[in-house]
Order: sequence, then structure tokens, then C-alpha cells
Amino acid sequence: MGKASFVVRRTLQLVVTLWAVGTVLFALFRLMPGDPTSYVVSSQMTQEARQQLIASYGLNDPLHIQYIRFLENLVVLNFGQSFHSNQPVTEVIATYLPNTLVLMLTAFIVAYAIGITLGVLSGWYRGSRFERSTVITALTARSVPTFYVGLIVLWIFGARLGVIPMSGMTSLGTGGSNAGFFDMVFSMDFVHHLLAPAVVLGFYYMGYPLLIMRSSMLEVLSEDFIDVCRAKGLKERTIMFKHAARNALLPIITAAAIALGYAVGGSVLIETVFAWPGIGREMVRAVLRRDFPVAQGTFIVLASTIIFLNFVADLAYGYLDPRVTYD
Amino acid sequence: MPMSDKDIERRDFLKATTAGGTLGITALAGCSGNQGGDGGDGGDGGDGGDGGDGGDGGDGGDGSDGGDGGNGGSNLPTYTYVNNAQSYNPPRHDAINLIASQFGDELGLDMEVDVLEWGTLFSRVSQEYDYSFATWHTFFVSEPVTELNNLFNSSNTDPGQGNYSGYENADLDELMSNYLGEPDDETRIDQCHEIQQTLMDDVPTMPITQMPQAAIFNSNQVSNWQADLANGFNSYWTMINLEMEGGEDTLKGYWPETLSTMNVLGHNDESKHVYQFNMMYDFLIQLNNNAEPDPEVSLATDWTRVDETTMEYTIRTDHSWHDGEDVTAEDVAFSYNYVNDNEVPLYSTQSQYLDSAEVVDESTVRINMSEPLGPFNLAVANLIPIIPEHKWADRSNPSQANIEEPVGSGPMMFDYWEQGSEFGMTKFDEHFAPVSFENRFWRVIPEASTVWENLINGDLNYEPFGRIDRQLDQNQDNENIGTQFNTAATFWMFTSNTRQDGLSDPQMRKALVEAIPRTPIVDQILFGFPDPGFNIVSPAFGPLHTEDITEYEESIEAARSRLEEAGYTWNDDGAIQAPE
Repeated sequence: MGKASFVVRRTLQLVVTLWAVGTVLFALFRLMPGDPTSYVVSSQMTQEARQQLIASYGLNDPLHIQYIRFLENLVVLNFGQSFHSNQPVTEVIATYLPNTLVLMLTAFIVAYAIGITLGVLSGWYRGSRFERSTVITALTARSVPTFYVGLIVLWIFGARLGVIPMSGMTSLGTGGSNAGFFDMVFSMDFVHHLLAPAVVLGFYYMGYPLLIMRSSMLEVLSEDFIDVCRAKGLKERTIMFKHAARNALLPIITAAAIALGYAVGGSVLIETVFAWPGIGREMVRAVLRRDFPVAQGTFIVLASTIIFLNFVADLAYGYLDPRVTYD
Repeated sequence: MPMSDKDIERRDFLKATTAGGTLGITALAGCSGNQGGDGGDGGDGGDGGDGGDGGDGGDGGDGSDGGDGGNGGSNLPTYTYVNNAQSYNPPRHDAINLIASQFGDELGLDMEVDVLEWGTLFSRVSQEYDYSFATWHTFFVSEPVTELNNLFNSSNTDPGQGNYSGYENADLDELMSNYLGEPDDETRIDQCHEIQQTLMDDVPTMPITQMPQAAIFNSNQVSNWQADLANGFNSYWTMINLEMEGGEDTLKGYWPETLSTMNVLGHNDESKHVYQFNMMYDFLIQLNNNAEPDPEVSLATDWTRVDETTMEYTIRTDHSWHDGEDVTAEDVAFSYNYVNDNEVPLYSTQSQYLDSAEVVDESTVRINMSEPLGPFNLAVANLIPIIPEHKWADRSNPSQANIEEPVGSGPMMFDYWEQGSEFGMTKFDEHFAPVSFENRFWRVIPEASTVWENLINGDLNYEPFGRIDRQLDQNQDNENIGTQFNTAATFWMFTSNTRQDGLSDPQMRKALVEAIPRTPIVDQILFGFPDPGFNIVSPAFGPLHTEDITEYEESIEAARSRLEEAGYTWNDDGAIQAPE
């Protein structure tokens, strides 16, 4: 089977997977206990007004009608309108997702760059004090709750030393400047606010690629071609990075694709601790308030990203390792 | 348990509050949001407002070991006390467990506590009536009897109509009806007293704590906090009287979660929205800190009751909208007709009393009621915002309109709204009741400890959320922090579902009220900030409140004696037996 038929087959699978995810989400939110209208309506409303509002959101239609409408809208990427803000869900996602992406991608890139490098080195220097300390660091990074690290960082560097801001993406009271998103992102004020949450998240993320890279390196270093490289008289540094590390990278690709997908969902805890207006907090808020359209929309974006990146990782495998076929 | 000295020993207290005591706790769900707009509940100390609370995310998986607890063998049914998740409102969760424990252990009732996510809880109580006891934060706004009529009128007992206690009393119905139709203030005061006496005699609902309004602020930057009845220290009256200190010109607040909408006709009555819109829009009538309509600070400078169902308002003719257009009598009439004709759900209670509004001349608007309403100014004119006709006339579905830049005529103008991050308003210089600060912003900060650091260091200078918790207790003496407390019209209520066997008996309800450890809840759970509840119409309502009501001792002995006198007995297992 060639690459083209592989792509077609996987694309079809992708569509079916997305339909399944959408259906599960639809069912899940309707099976959850809790009445979405109790968050939308006020106790001051009369019963007639309440029923009128419920009807206007289509919530009194039979479930199968709601489901068909949901699928129809999904096909055209219309996630509906938030019960709470009355904004189109696409607008809600467009508001919060970029904030999350900037934070998560910064943390992700820093974490994977450092994590992979340290993983290579710790694999290479197996048995050394360096390896032991990096493994302990990685395990600590994965084990300590991020919100706890975040609170400690805020307390020491924010409250006590005053060198990092305590909340948000920009300084207090500086909203409304009409600067565009990219102007904001490239401002020093934003970078100052980004630093602490990105470092805390990066520290957490770093452990995973470090440990995977280390174990992958250990496996590669035991293979014959490394001995051949040495026999050829190549420098140790060249063997380590050009031959061993490149061959050890494959497991990282899959791990990174999935981790990147999850990153799109944001980090509720970090966004809460650092008051970062990201999609993670909004997603949780939508679930808690039974704002079905927003909850469904954000989860579908998250699921689609993971599915798509996994697909890309599969394709990348074949490119990075010619021995992998598309059969 | 040493209830006589109104204290509960630490071990018993912890046992009761942390695990539901000996009760079975059925956790059906456990998530909540800060503060959540729930329509009925409010956070405590503003945790979400009257709608909602606020909490900040997080899951609320409360313990769940299911099953019944308490005492078996009673010939009364198992009673279910519905409880919010611990994460949603920790103190209230603990208080409910404590009360349920008292009912089970001390009175011998067969009790279970169901821990529910807020939306489920609210529906179970207000729509399905599937509960025995419920407690949440009840907000009465400026007019108590319109609220009481909603809660206790015998004609409101169908699901969702408001009378979830199921209490029916024809005499009370008549009293409330007379009050609502009575134009004379003095007569209404007497009628209101009689209504309170009836309700506190029968106690379908009992206030557990009278929650205070709290002003928490940086005393170096802002002063002169004066509360009003409905919105406490977040009211219009408060804002127009604040004084800035130390050269500060910005009022800097926070809220744990973002605003949902900029639509003044399309929000769900949560305080976070009410507090903003009250500053962006004018109302025909505004109240001062004595809960009196004040023409000096209202859009209407004079008003007269033409007859039982007609009010006429003289409005200012020199006022403008934030976009520079004139505010006219047509705008005022339009606002009332628009809300009424479009059946805006948020104002459905007010619309019940509206027939039409018409312009008499350029400074006079006549409002015709559909039925007589004595306290029209408090119950309607103080609540419906005046909106610009030139902005709203073409909107066909106002409650679901997506407004990006609201235009009002209030003392603050919309400046910016960075969703999830910050909301800012700026002073409207031409307003007849100007504020003394140039800007006001609210930063979204979910984490309470960050808020306190910001308040102390002056990055924030007031705490509109009014969260009453351990951090307030610990920080209130800080040299940079000022606090002020005021009696509020809000309370944690305890409501019995009188549809259930045993709970239709007033003697049982009174005994339950006596068994509620109100003082320990105030002292040990709420750090002594509120007062123990005693009357459903708070002293905050001034002359409408009366002290001449039935008061209930906090005493298990008194509760058991009352039940014994009513013919209840206890079997060898301590389970209560109803009289045959």
C-alpha cells in the first residue's frame, strides 16, 4: 500500500473517529446530572419566561432532534451559541485559544528542547552522577503538582521579591489599549507575565521527554551501528548527537504529538493560579455551568487536534525512518 | 452535645462537618464553578452573586459512601438534606453536614445528605421538589414582600413557580396581596410586620445566618464606604460616594471569573453583572443608603401616583447617553415597553406588573400597571434599566443579543472588556451623580491568596466579591486593609419541604429550627462575621423589619421538649416516632 492510499484510509478513519468523539460528547453532556437552564435563568423569572428561554435554546426538543442538529452544525463547524454569553462558540474559542497556545507552546518548546538534550546526555553518561541527578529532577518535575509549584513561585518571586507579576497576561489596569494580539504578545510586559507560568509548566513538561529520550538512547547505544561509528573513528560528540540521538528520537515524535494535542486544552491549574485567560479554564467553566455548546466546541477542538497530530506523527514516522512502511 | 452554651466541641464539630458525621453521604456529582450562576444562590460574601457563586473551578468530589445513616426504626420517612459540593461553597457544605448531624444524632430523625452539583441541587429543590431540607444563600433585593410572595404564595406551588417549600396559608396570601396593592407606605409597614409574624410562627423557612455586606479595601487608596440595601458596598450609592485617597484615581477590583456578557437584558442576574450594569445604566429610581428613593441621584427628579395603577415620572431633560445622544422621555417609555413587549425573561417578575408606558411630554413619562403594585418604585422602577432606543429598537431578541460595546447613561462608561482577563469602565463626566474616580477595572483573579497580596500591596484597592473566609479573618488587621460590615438583606436559609410526611407539622419544623446550631455555625464556620439568623425580613429593611416575632431558642432540649409535647416519642434505638 502506498503513501497516498494510507493517507486516504487514515483520513476516513479520522472522520469516523471525530464522529464518534462528537457523539460521545453529545451524549456525555446530556447524561451528566445538572440542569443547564438553572445556570442560564434567574430565580426572578416566572415559569413561563423560564420555559420560553429553554425553548429558545432548543433544550426542550427531543434528544434525537438535538443530536441531528448538532451533527449538521458540526459538519459546517458551527458549534452554536454560548448559553451564557450568547457569543458564537467559535468566537469564544478564538478569544481564549490563542492565549493558551502562546503559553503552552512556549512551555512545550522550552521543555522539549531542554528535556531532549538532557535525555540524550543522561543516556550517554549512564551510571554517572549527572544521570542520577537528571532522572531525579525529571521524576520530581512530573510528580510535584504544578499548581503547588506555581503557588510557591508566585509567593516567593511575586509576593515576597516582587520580580514577577501576580496575575494575568498584562499589567493591571492596562487593558483597552486596542493593541492587537500580536502587538501584545511581542511586548515586554507580556513576556514578563509569560515567564513564570511558562517556566512552571515547562518544568512539568520537561520530565516526560527527558525520561523517554534517556531510555530510547540506552536502547540505541546498545546497537551495533554505534560500535561501527566508533570503529570509524568518529568523534564522541558526533556519535552522540548525529547518530545515536537522531535514531532515538522516534518515540519522542509520538509523545510530542499527543502532548502537543493536550496542550491545546490548556492547563486549568496553571491558568487558575496565574490568572491566565486560557481555554482550559473556560472549558471547565463551560462544563460546570452546563454550557453545552461551549463545552462541546472546546472538547471537539481538543480532540480534533490530538487526532490530527497523531495522524501527522504517523506520517512523520515514515519520513524520519525509511524502514517504516505504510502497510 | 453541649448545645446549651451554644458551642460545639471541636471533635464533634469536625466529625460532623468533614464526613457528614454518621450520615450517609450520596455524592451524585461534585463539580462546581465559582461562584456559578445559579439563579437562586449567591455566593457567600458575594461568591458568585445571586446567581451564583463563585467558586473557582475545581472539582468537588465529595465523599460518597452512600446509604442511609442516622436512626433506623422511625415511623417517619428518611429525610434528605441536599448539600452543595465542598468545593462549591466549603462553609455552607460544612454547615449543612453539621445541621444534618444534629437532626440525626440529637432528634433521632433518619437523615441522609445528598451532595449535588449546584445545577442539580437547584433543580431538585425548585423544579422537582425532591428534597426534605435545603440551604442556600437567599438574596432579597430592595423589596422583601415581592420575594416572600414568590416564595410562599399558595398559588405558586407548581414546579418552578417559586414556592418550593410547599407552604400554603390563605391568610398569608391575603396579607401579601393586600401589601402589594397598598400604596400607603405606613400601612405597608404594618402589613409587612404581620407577614413576618405569620411566617416566623410557621417557619417554612428559617434564616440560619444573616450574612453581612462586607467592604474590604486598601485604606490608603479609597474611603467613605456607604452601603445600600440591595447591592451592599457594590451599589450605585456606594460608588458615587466613594472618596479616593493618596492621589489614586482608579478603583481597582477583581472577580474570580470572567463576566459572561455585556447584555444588560440578557444576563442571569449574577452579581458580577448587576454591579457593572448598575453603574453603566440609569434607572428611573435610585436608592440612598436608607433604602429610600432619592431624586437627587435618580434619572427621575419627581414622581406621583396618579391612581392605583398609574405612576408618572418627571425625568431630567439635560442628560445624555454615553455616545452623546440625548436621553429622552421616549427612551424611558421605550425601555419599559420594550422589556414588556419582548417578554425579557430577566425582568419577567417586573413585567407582570407592567401594562404600558407612554410619553406625556418631553419630561414626563406615565407608566400604567397591569395590576396595583404599592411599592412600584422599589420593585420595578429601581430595577429596570433605561436603554437607548436608537441602539435597541432594531433588536428583535434582546435577551440573546450579543452586545460588544454597551451604551448606557450611568456614571461609568464602558471602556474595554478583555474576556477572561479584565473589564474596564471610565468616568462619564456629564452624569448628574458623578463618581470621584476616573476609571474602574475588575481583573479576573481566581486565586484568593493572589487577591490578598494585591490588596495589601495596592495593586488592587477593593474586594467587590466580599469573600468571607479565613483569609479575611487573618488579614483584616493588616495596616493597609480597611473593612466595614453592614447588615444585609441576605441570609442562609433553611427550608423544609412541607410536602413530606412529618414536615407539614409546624411543631416539627419549629423543633428543627431549635436544633440548628446557628451560633456555632457563625462562630466556628464563618469566623464570627455574620449574625445568627432570627427573622426572614432582615433589620436591613429598616421600618419594614420587626423584632416582634416568635424567636427560637438554640437548644436540643427545647426541641425535644417541643416534640414530646406534640406527642412524638423515641424508641430504644433513639429513633423518633410520630404520634399515631
